[in-house]
Amino acid sequence: MATPERVVIAAAGVVTPIGQDLEAFWSSLVTGASGISQIERVPVEDLRVQRGGEVKKLGRIKDWRGVPDCRASRLLIAAADDLCAQAAFRPLPLDPARVGVVVGTALGGVEEGEKVLAGDRGRRRLSQALYDGPGWALARWLGARGPVITVSTACASGATALAVGADLLRAGEADAVVAGGYDALCRFVLRGFDALRSLTRDEVRPFDRRRSGLLLGEAGALALLVRERDARGPRLGTLLGYGSASDGFHIAAPEPEGRGLERAIRAALADARVSAADIDMVSAHGTATPLNDRIETAALKRALGRRAHEVPINSIKGSLGHTMGAAAALEAFMCLLSGQRGLIPPTLHLEEPDPECDLDYVPGEARPGRPRVMLSTSMGFGGCNGALVLEAAR
Amino acid sequence: MKAPAIRGLGVLSGTEAKSVAGASAGADWGSAGAISGPPHMKGLKNETVDSKLEILALPRPDRPGDRFRRATRECLLALAAVDAMLEDGKTSREAIAGERTALLYVTAAAYGASNRAFIEQRGGVMHFAYTAPAVVPAEVAIEFGVAGPYGILIGGAPATLRAIEQAARLLEAGTCDQALVLAVEIFEECADLYARHRRSYRWPLVETAACLWLERGAGALSFESARDGRRAAGAAEPGERFAAGPLADLRDWRARATAGPVELSGRWRGEHARLLWSPDKSHARDSAA
Repeated sequence: MATPERVVIAAAGVVTPIGQDLEAFWSSLVTGASGISQIERVPVEDLRVQRGGEVKKLGRIKDWRGVPDCRASRLLIAAADDLCAQAAFRPLPLDPARVGVVVGTALGGVEEGEKVLAGDRGRRRLSQALYDGPGWALARWLGARGPVITVSTACASGATALAVGADLLRAGEADAVVAGGYDALCRFVLRGFDALRSLTRDEVRPFDRRRSGLLLGEAGALALLVRERDARGPRLGTLLGYGSASDGFHIAAPEPEGRGLERAIRAALADARVSAADIDMVSAHGTATPLNDRIETAALKRALGRRAHEVPINSIKGSLGHTMGAAAALEAFMCLLSGQRGLIPPTLHLEEPDPECDLDYVPGEARPGRPRVMLSTSMGFGGCNGALVLEAAR
Repeated sequence: MKAPAIRGLGVLSGTEAKSVAGASAGADWGSAGAISGPPHMKGLKNETVDSKLEILALPRPDRPGDRFRRATRECLLALAAVDAMLEDGKTSREAIAGERTALLYVTAAAYGASNRAFIEQRGGVMHFAYTAPAVVPAEVAIEFGVAGPYGILIGGAPATLRAIEQAARLLEAGTCDQALVLAVEIFEECADLYARHRRSYRWPLVETAACLWLERGAGALSFESARDGRRAAGAAEPGERFAAGPLADLRDWRARATAGPVELSGRWRGEHARLLWSPDKSHARDSAA
């Protein structure tokens, strides 16, 4: 079988609770900063847990004229603004019809739906409320007139979006793709997770014996993808492979043995044409729910074998909260920056290791290391499992 | 790209709601061909819904088992569409179980009903997980044991055409041995909201749940999309089916047993997409088994 054309991640842009550009995001990760705070933008007085990874002031863009008054769209566009600043990508340097947009989200513009149902009759609210509304808003802001695709594989959406973006390039449907993920904190999702009792009142402690749940976060994370033969100038790295698999087990709970995640990892390794022995680092989904971290540990052990015990594995959700549709894209960028900068961010708030999570989860401080090939894993509602294999540029 | 062959196709359409297997005679609300709305908007109906704006609704299918007690209508319709697909393929559910079956789900707006119910907290507590689009294919995966690669696209008819192309790509690459393309659209619970934007859609809105079962084939497939700025959405006739339109069109094409290529097209938010499927005898209903 022919080797698929390699797709380069030329640049990335982010807006997160710990920094509103890629450099600030990276600095906060390696210094162990936390973006968790009291949620201020939406009412939370009636909720059991009132904290999360909120972006306090969306300060990147001063003039929002022409951009919908929609938090999700604005997170995406703020991330795109960072991307464009790094990659000189606006105005578009190539035929707009050859530029695609692929975004992943768990929630789309659902907050706009809340406004509509509360009586807001704004002309475009309903259109923005559909889950593909923010993706189209991003395309308009960029001036991109190629394919516009929204994927919603729950909390694996960011990984799916990067993979679909790479497929668009390989299929020749576009010459450049802006791909990634986003989600905004809103009443809808805060109420939902509060009702599920998935949120913790403690710190988010991935793989810690005392872990008691996750906190939600909001973010936008976008990459500029191009075919390797078209790549010019600096780059972050290469997207080597992607795999997905459904649990087929439960609508909200992961399969107890992590078989779906294991299949996704194996598929990603096969797609990347690498073996477990080639993996130098793992970015775990690591939500800090009691079930997720144990299951993920078991799946990594089975999929990677002995290598799972030899490589550093981190989770950045202690710093950011769970940013849902943005999470996998942010974690992919973190992996690539680790390979470039020679530092592996720590798993924040991991202090008392869980005997059932007995891999090297990088507690404490950032660790020197220059991984070349990285695996990033994601799991979501509905038994969505996704895995990316990435290679850092040197 | 090599075209996949059709192994089965199940389409449940609001234009023929009586054909829904297991449909409850006492559906939650509304009935096919009637202007309708959920109970909470009965008083609003005449104010907010133009009598010319019809929604051809599908009833909530009955499905035995406690597991389905809280399942949403869109989930149950997805399961019924897969049942219909298996019936069309003249085979049992075991044929699609396992890790070698991919599942691609497409919808523009089916999650609107559950999102609304959760936001408005109507009729008790909507289980939050059911608000996620991902839960519709999840129910299919759980019920039928589908455990292979998956994808979920949000959008109208062009997204479905793209999903068929993705399925063909997965089959060609050997990533899976068969692929299901599932599309579900329901409208009734949000009838008043659609009516507010009546000029954005072609009425009636036709609720549709459809599942297409593909395996490797011998023909050729080409996909193209372009942005032409027109606002019309969807391609299916009659009315509007959003993402489910192309599968309903394919069903109609098979029913005509027409020779020659199948051309499926659709429009959404100014994107126009076209899928050209070369002749393959497996397309015809009579040879689908």
